[in-house]
Amino acid sequence: MSTFRKHKSIADRSAADRARHKQKIEKALKEGIKDIVAEESIIGQDGKKKIRIPVKGIKEYQFIYGDNTKKVGSAPGKDVTRGQKIAEDKDGEKSKSGNKPGDKPGEEYYDVEITLEELAEYLFSDLDLPDLDKKKFKFLSSDQYKRKGFRSKGIKPRLSKKETLKKKLRRKKMSQRNDETIDGEEERFPFHEDDLKYKHFKLKDSEISSAAIFFIMDISGSMSTEKKYIARSFFFLLYQFLRHKYNNVEVVFIAHTTTAKEVSENDFFTLVPSGGTYISPAIDLTLDIIEKRYHPSNWNIYSFHCSDGDNWSEDEQKAFDASKKLKAISQLYSFCEIDPNSESKQWRQSDFSRMYELYKPLTDSKFKLLKMTVAKDIWPAFKKLFGGKV
Amino acid sequence: MTWTFDDLTGWDEKIRAIAKSYNLEWHPIDYEVCDYHDMIGYMAYTGMPTHYQHWSYGKSFERTHTMYNMGMEGLPYEMIINSNPSIAYLMTENELPLQVMIMAHCVGHSDFFKNNRMFKHTDPDNVIARFKNAAKRIKKYIENPNIGIDNVERIIDACHSLKYHNYREFGINRQTPGEIRQKYVDKLNNDPASLPKDFNINLFPLEPDYDILGFVSDNSRNLDEWERDVIRIVRDEAMYFMPQAMTKIMNEGWASFWHYKIMSEITDLPQEFHLSFLKNHNQVLRPLVGKINPYHLGFTIFNWIHENLGLEECFRAREVHNDESFIRTYLNKEICEELNLFSYSKKKKMWTIDDVSDEDGWKKIREDLIKNVGLNSLPNIYIKELKKNFTLVLEHEHDGRDLDLDYAHNVCEQLIDLWGDDFKFFTIIEDELFEI
Repeated sequence: MSTFRKHKSIADRSAADRARHKQKIEKALKEGIKDIVAEESIIGQDGKKKIRIPVKGIKEYQFIYGDNTKKVGSAPGKDVTRGQKIAEDKDGEKSKSGNKPGDKPGEEYYDVEITLEELAEYLFSDLDLPDLDKKKFKFLSSDQYKRKGFRSKGIKPRLSKKETLKKKLRRKKMSQRNDETIDGEEERFPFHEDDLKYKHFKLKDSEISSAAIFFIMDISGSMSTEKKYIARSFFFLLYQFLRHKYNNVEVVFIAHTTTAKEVSENDFFTLVPSGGTYISPAIDLTLDIIEKRYHPSNWNIYSFHCSDGDNWSEDEQKAFDASKKLKAISQLYSFCEIDPNSESKQWRQSDFSRMYELYKPLTDSKFKLLKMTVAKDIWPAFKKLFGGKV
Repeated sequence: MTWTFDDLTGWDEKIRAIAKSYNLEWHPIDYEVCDYHDMIGYMAYTGMPTHYQHWSYGKSFERTHTMYNMGMEGLPYEMIINSNPSIAYLMTENELPLQVMIMAHCVGHSDFFKNNRMFKHTDPDNVIARFKNAAKRIKKYIENPNIGIDNVERIIDACHSLKYHNYREFGINRQTPGEIRQKYVDKLNNDPASLPKDFNINLFPLEPDYDILGFVSDNSRNLDEWERDVIRIVRDEAMYFMPQAMTKIMNEGWASFWHYKIMSEITDLPQEFHLSFLKNHNQVLRPLVGKINPYHLGFTIFNWIHENLGLEECFRAREVHNDESFIRTYLNKEICEELNLFSYSKKKKMWTIDDVSDEDGWKKIREDLIKNVGLNSLPNIYIKELKKNFTLVLEHEHDGRDLDLDYAHNVCEQLIDLWGDDFKFFTIIEDELFEI
C-alpha cells in the first residue's frame, strides 16, 4: 500500500548550511582580494568602479584520478574511428595566475562583482586603527538627522496623524468617563490643538573624523617600475583603508628626487623617474603643508613614505631630524622600504638600507618601519602597520 | 496543480496491480508531494528527511538551484530513498502523466533496494532513525561551547574527503586486529611456506586496510571521543550509500525497465498520457554524446537480457550483481555496437579515440568502462603500516591511472590533521614513486 501526503513545509531546512557556505565563499573572496590588490587595474580608481572577482568555489577534496585516465562514452548516430581527435583539452591553457576559471572537474568559480568600496570593506573588516587620539573634528555633522519620538510643536509636513488621533481618542475616553451623563448621543468631538503630535527629528551629533594622508614617494632613478608598482598597490590599500575609517579624508601626494613637490594623483604614479635622492626636502615639504593646511589639532595626520632606502649620505642627518618632527605630529608615520631584487645590496652590510638602520631608534607605535620585496609582502606589511592578525 | 491526490491513488493501484502480477517485491512507498524549493532542499540532503548539518549541503543546494535556473540541469524526475517504507518525492509542478511514470519508476527502485544483495547490510527499517540520531549528535557537538561549529566542520570536512575509502566487504564482519593476527600466527605455525619470506608478524596492520576512516578512528591517539563519534557517523552514512554508488547503472536500468513495462501494460492509458510518457521516457533515457547515461545503459542491458535470456534471468541479475559484475557478465559486442561505445583518452592535449566497438575493440572498451563504474572510479588507497612512533603509512594501489596531485595533497593535509601524528603517502606519478 502506498501513501500520499503533502509535504509539511518545515522552515527552510538548508538555510543554515547555505548561510555557512556563504560565509566560506566570503572568506574565499577576501583571500582572492589579496591577489587582486596587487593588480594594477584597480589602483587609483574611483571607489564606485565595479570589478569582477572570480572566487574559487569551496572545494571538497577527494582522492581522484588525474588526466591519464581512459574514459568511455556513447556516440549515438555518429561515426567514430580510432585515432579520431574529438576535443581539445583546455586545461593546459589555464593561465598561470589562476585568474581564469579552469575547466577541471570540481573547479567551480563564483563570479562576484563588487565595488572598490565594498572591496575595502571586506579587506578592513578585521583590522582596526591603532588607538587614535581624539582630535577636534573639522566638521560637525549637518547631514545626519535621526527620528527621535514626537513633540507637540512642529510643522505641518511632520504631523503624525496616527499619534494625533491616538491622543484625541484618549482625551475622548477620559471625558466620557468623567461625564457619564452624556450617553447615547454621538456628540461631535473635534480635534484640539493639544492633540497635535509632530514627528521629531534631532540632529545627530555624529563625530565626523578627518584625516590627512601624505603619500610620499621617491621617484629617483633607482626606483624601478617594479618598486613603484609595489608602492602604488600599497598606497591604494592605505587610501582605501583610511577612507573606510574616516568620513573626511584628504590626500596629498609628494614626489621627490633631490627636490620635492606636491603633485596630482595621476602624476604621482606616472612621473618618469630621474635623478638622485634627498629625503629631507620631502619631509620638510610635508611639514610645511601640514602647518599651512592641515593643522594637527584638527586633523589626524598619516604619513607614508615609500622609498628604496637609498639616500645620499650628506642628507641622512637632516632627514632623520625632519622625520622626528613629522613623527611627533602624526598619528602614524611609516617608512616603507621597497627592495625587489636589491641591485644595490652588494654595497650594503645588512639586508636593510642605511635609512632603515638610521630610522630604527625612532620605531614605536607611531613610527613603523616596513620592508617589502614582492607584491605578496604588501598585505602582511599592511597588517603589521595596523596591528591586525596576519 | 492540475491533479488531485485521488488521481494519484487511482493510478497507484493500477501500477501496483501490474507490478504484483510480475512478482516485483517492494517496500510500501510513502509519496511526499512537495514544491520545487523543497525538492532541491531534499536533493541537497540526498533525500533524507533529517540529516546532519554541514556547509557542503548548502553548496549543493545553491549549485542545483543555479544550474536549474540556467537550464543546465533538469530536476530529477524522481527521488526515492532506500528505507522501509520507501520515501519518494513528487514535485507539485509536474503534470499527472509524468507523476504516473515516476511512480512506476519508484516501484522498480524500491524492489531493487529490497532484493539486491549489495543492500543487505543497510538496515532500511531503521535508517531514518539512524540519520536523525546522527543529526542530533552533530548538533549537540556544534552547540557545545567547548567544541563549536569550526571544530566540527574541520572533522567532517576531513571525513568527507575520505568517506568512500571505507570497508567494502558488505555483509562480512570486519575482522579485528586480534583475529587477523591469530590467522597469521596459525599460518606461521602450520604453513610458513605460504607466507612471504620477509613476513613480519609484528607489523601492523598485517593486511592492507582500505577502511581508512575506521582505522583512524580506532587507532589515532589524538582524537577526543566526540571526534571519533563524528568519524563513525560519516563512515556509517557512507556505508549506507556505497551500494547505491555501486549499482547506479543497474538500479536506474531496472527502474526504467519496469516503468516502461508497467506504462505499456496499463490498458486504459489515455492518449495524451501515452504521448507525454514517450516524451519523458526518451528524455530520461537519451544517450549522451561522449558520456554514459546510466539509465540508458542499464535499460538497454536489461532489455537485452529480457529478450535473449528471459525475465527470470533479469530477476536473478537484479539480485546478485553490482554494476561491475553486471557489465562484465552481460555487456557484449551487440550492445556495445548498439550504443556505439568508444573509449578515449588525452594525448598531447587532445582527447583522442582509442577504441571503437568492433571485434578488436569492444572487450577493451568493456574493461575501460568497468574501471569507471561505481567505486572503481575512485582510487584504492590503503593503510600499509602504522609505525611504532605512530607514523601512518598510506599507499595508493596504482593501476595505471595517476592521481590528481593537487587533490591528493589537499586530502593528505586533512588526513594529517585528523590523524594528528606523522604521516606518509606513496603513489606513482608518471612511472616514478611519489611521496606526499
